[in-house]
Amino acid sequence: MLDSTPAPLAIEVRGLKKTFPVRTRGAVPKPTPADPGQDGASASPPGQPPTPPPKQSRRGAFVEAVSGIDLDVPHGQVFAFLGPNGAGKTTTLRILTTLLPATSGTAKVAGFDVTTQQRQVRRNIGYVGQLGGTDLDHATGRENLVLAARLYGLRKRDALTRAAELLEGFDLTALADQETSTYSGGQRRRLDVALGMVGQPSVLFLDEPSTGLDPQNRMNLWDQVRRLRAAGTTVFLTTHYLDEADALADNVAIMDHGQIIARGTPAELKARTGSTTLDDVFLTLTGRVLRDTESQEVRS
Amino acid sequence: MITKESSIVTEAFLLTQRRAKELLREPQWIFSGMATPILYLVLFAPLLTNIPSALFGGLSVVQMFVPGMLVLFAFGSGQGIGWTVIHELDTGVIERFRVTPVRRVSLLLGSVIRDGLFFIVCALIVCLIAIPFGFVIHPSGLALTLLLLAVLTGTVSATSAAIGLALKNIGALAASIMSMQLPLTLLAGALLPISMGPTWLRVLAHFNPFYYAVEAARDLASGHILTVNVGLGFLVVFAVFALALTWASRVFQKAVA
Repeated sequence: MLDSTPAPLAIEVRGLKKTFPVRTRGAVPKPTPADPGQDGASASPPGQPPTPPPKQSRRGAFVEAVSGIDLDVPHGQVFAFLGPNGAGKTTTLRILTTLLPATSGTAKVAGFDVTTQQRQVRRNIGYVGQLGGTDLDHATGRENLVLAARLYGLRKRDALTRAAELLEGFDLTALADQETSTYSGGQRRRLDVALGMVGQPSVLFLDEPSTGLDPQNRMNLWDQVRRLRAAGTTVFLTTHYLDEADALADNVAIMDHGQIIARGTPAELKARTGSTTLDDVFLTLTGRVLRDTESQEVRS
Repeated sequence: MITKESSIVTEAFLLTQRRAKELLREPQWIFSGMATPILYLVLFAPLLTNIPSALFGGLSVVQMFVPGMLVLFAFGSGQGIGWTVIHELDTGVIERFRVTPVRRVSLLLGSVIRDGLFFIVCALIVCLIAIPFGFVIHPSGLALTLLLLAVLTGTVSATSAAIGLALKNIGALAASIMSMQLPLTLLAGALLPISMGPTWLRVLAHFNPFYYAVEAARDLASGHILTVNVGLGFLVVFAVFALALTWASRVFQKAVA
């Protein structure tokens, strides 16, 4: 590329850290320097490394959910954030979406600081949480979308148009005026994503979007994500389905114990670890082998 | 990106409308809520008929009893929203709104206004039902009573929503609401005037904002508008409302759901 101006970043994270206080009963176990697991005799199975014990500070015990990570996501990419449960993916995502304050470090989304420019960040992002967020109490799909659109400042007529567009785009037109409590899991998920798109965000965050979906609905969701990417939306998704990352993502970061332990395109990661699938990459990287050595990074 | 901006009035209106729809689509809550004051009127008020009316400041039993019952009803009308808030935490609805530019205080106002409005409508029906039992309606006095108690409903509503959001747990919410309800309403003289009680009880009641609401409502419902009780009632209820709203919007602002 001869382009001299660097492309603006959709997401820019520097030294992001998040700690949570932990309530403990009794004495906090001290980390033992001679971990018997290192001999391999009683080592945890790959993919299920031992959880580090809480650290101590003057203000009590705490865990570091995110330990000073850096991230760059260019505009228009699909970026997949991988990692086992408890790796810190959701915490990172919640900081990026202004739901959670960071302990230290900075994060910019769509050019705005998530701490000092929350309102601007919120105007530019869409978010679909693990819980969904569809109003299930006697509201219809259309009502959900129209209300959301009006809260973004659209007038009633424009909100109705926007809702109709989204219903059409997510194949929900036939169900538009049914109460959402009658929707199936896949239909509800589509409405969740549609709700995240109401404000025409430039960056869309999806937290484990395909969890609990059947294969057909997963494919359907993937198509939606591809269509969003084609329309220029940056999509940041967390997942522990590696085929999902393989199929969708331009770039991948693997997170474990609050740190990014590898990043690159799916192809680069596979080449580096000599694996044929991302599953192998994942197991190699999150298993104990790499953890005990220096963590390395693949840069594009 | 949509560059338009919704005003706080629009947001509050839209979210009140959403809450109102929610309630109208589950009308059993309205009926069960209204049942409480009506049951008191029918099954409890008759027990008081042999008490000399001098003890009620010369008011008839029903005229004394209805305003107090409306205060109970105000508490009942506002308390439920905490449960809804916890439900919406669990389904991710609150989280979804928190990631949009919608003002945090608008989310709160939607419930507060809805609860206040429904209180007015239902309380008016209760008053009409009380007419055959001997309740005399003084229009301007009643209008002010309903206004005052709607604000009290809003106070309870804001408090319940904030407690729900802060505790995130239905059991803990129930425990804290229940532990407030009886002392606050008993010590307000909602069922029988506090003036009938011993000195210590009367003194203690002055620390309870609901006491001022009950006293003001009794004066107003009998058509006495320009009294010290009414002035104090409005002062205290509006002050407590402002406090509750400020505190609750801070909880909504900071909530890490």
